[in-house]
Amino acid sequence: MSSDVLVCQGISKSYGEGEQKEQVLSRVDLTFQKGQASVLIGPSGSGKTTLLSILGCLLAPSEGELIINSEAVNFKDKSSLTEVRRLKLGFIFQHAQLLPFLTIKENLVVFARNTGMQADDIEQRIQLLIERLQLVAMAPKFPSQLSGGQRQRVAIARALLHRPSIVLADEPTAALDWHNGQTVVELLLDQARVEQAVLVVVTHDVRMLPLFDRILAIENGIVQVKQNVK
Amino acid sequence: MNAVILPVAIKMLSHNKLRFFMTVTGISMAFFLAAAQIGLLVGWVNTNSAIINHAGADLWVMAKETRTFDYGTAIPRHRVQQVSSVPGVKWAESMLIGWATWHHPQGKRINVEVIGLDDSFTGGPWEFASGSIEITRQPDTVVVDELYGDMLGVWKVGDEAEIQGHRVIMGGFSRGVRTFTAAPFVFTSIRNAQKYTPYYRDDEISYVLARVAEGEDPMKVRDLINQSVSNVEALTSSEFAERSVKYWMLETGIGITVIITAALGMLVGAVIMSQTLFAITQDHLPNYATLLALGFHHKTLRSIILSQSFCLGGLGISLGAVLFGVASNASATSPIPLETTNYVSIALIIFFLLCCIGASWFSIRAIFKLDPVMVFHG
Repeated sequence: MSSDVLVCQGISKSYGEGEQKEQVLSRVDLTFQKGQASVLIGPSGSGKTTLLSILGCLLAPSEGELIINSEAVNFKDKSSLTEVRRLKLGFIFQHAQLLPFLTIKENLVVFARNTGMQADDIEQRIQLLIERLQLVAMAPKFPSQLSGGQRQRVAIARALLHRPSIVLADEPTAALDWHNGQTVVELLLDQARVEQAVLVVVTHDVRMLPLFDRILAIENGIVQVKQNVK
Repeated sequence: MNAVILPVAIKMLSHNKLRFFMTVTGISMAFFLAAAQIGLLVGWVNTNSAIINHAGADLWVMAKETRTFDYGTAIPRHRVQQVSSVPGVKWAESMLIGWATWHHPQGKRINVEVIGLDDSFTGGPWEFASGSIEITRQPDTVVVDELYGDMLGVWKVGDEAEIQGHRVIMGGFSRGVRTFTAAPFVFTSIRNAQKYTPYYRDDEISYVLARVAEGEDPMKVRDLINQSVSNVEALTSSEFAERSVKYWMLETGIGITVIITAALGMLVGAVIMSQTLFAITQDHLPNYATLLALGFHHKTLRSIILSQSFCLGGLGISLGAVLFGVASNASATSPIPLETTNYVSIALIIFFLLCCIGASWFSIRAIFKLDPVMVFHG
């Protein structure tokens, strides 16, 4: 069985038509393998968020195909896109985006229930992840009672909870200081490797680059792949 | 039901407790406003058909084109015998109704509706605070309702006043016999009533009240009376009650005003609820976008919003119903009661629950327009 979990084939994205047409991504061909950690870098407006949105099945490409676990994603069927996100993807956002009205434990439980996990499995999995991510004491607290770094650790737990094959993170350290940011990225990398998930992280922080398996540099919609030598 | 819907719906609502409390209070006040206006309408409908409904007669015979109970006009007294002789009629009695001026002991003059009752007092008060109706067989003796004691300047049995220059003595006080016209009812015997309504001749009355024999169909007997007794119109009690209510509610400005106010109360209530629910959804749009991005289906979010609507609506309606109950009890001894019926209550609750769904529609539409990509833009 192929270890290619996520494949982009000739993915392009443009907005507008005619003279107004703006090409954001141009024929992106990428392959992501099980347990591989990639970092996506590039200047503002280079197309990072657009590529991440397409990888996250949140935005349809204008051309090309996205293949997840050997199955082409049907971007015309919104319900099947939701199913892909629900079962195969984990997300970490810039500001964690935890539900403010639920405790940390409830945030995790609600999300896990939506993925169809069984009650026993939910309990065990949450316990495992909050121990690994040192969140046990935070479980009964609300997001507003946690620091930015703690919230991002919860977001990591949420992203990995249902054992997704792909985890996408959009500038997870942007709201954190260097020390906290590094800790969060190291935790994210560790956990993704343990779970054998494809990890794609968007960041502006070049100090993080050596931590990843490869660097995807994007400029004017064109992606260049650079392997990291560790 | 998806196991996440209720926990998310309820915690989203109740996390900000002050806002939750204010929202439920707003909806309960909206429901109370609508229920109070409808209650006023029901109270007035009950008031202007109360004597007809409590009289215990099957049929009312009156001058043709009589618009409402309060405006009965003269018919010959011998119509009582004519009605009695119609096959199927068990008994018939007369009633006289007329307008007169009551002289308050302190000099004020007040319009009253004098109701003259026949020997068995059919159509008289159905509940008494003190005294009795039988005492009105005595000359110059009358009964008024305790609600209007202050207005008429009489407070106990034996107190005296004047009607049309004739002395009257209080023989009793009824309870809960309200008037719709602001002119209190004064119950007495026909003999006494004739003195206070000089525009009636001695051989004239306003109504014949009849009861049909057991097993007889009141509608058939009504038709027989209409065929065999000239220059009068016979109606069943329910027909006459409906005609009286329709007159006041649809043909006069008073009724239309009450109906419009009740409709406005319901409309304002529905708008407050829609606005409140929509505001809550708008506040939580970023959270809904996150849920969509994380793989929650639109139908799950729709169910969350509907659950919130029913939760807020249910609590608001319950609290509003308690307020209405308190207000209704408090108004039970006032001239303007707030009343309801099972049918009206159920209809109002269903209307408000439908408003919940209507209110949700705007919120659900906002969710369906939501683009989950926005989670990547902070």
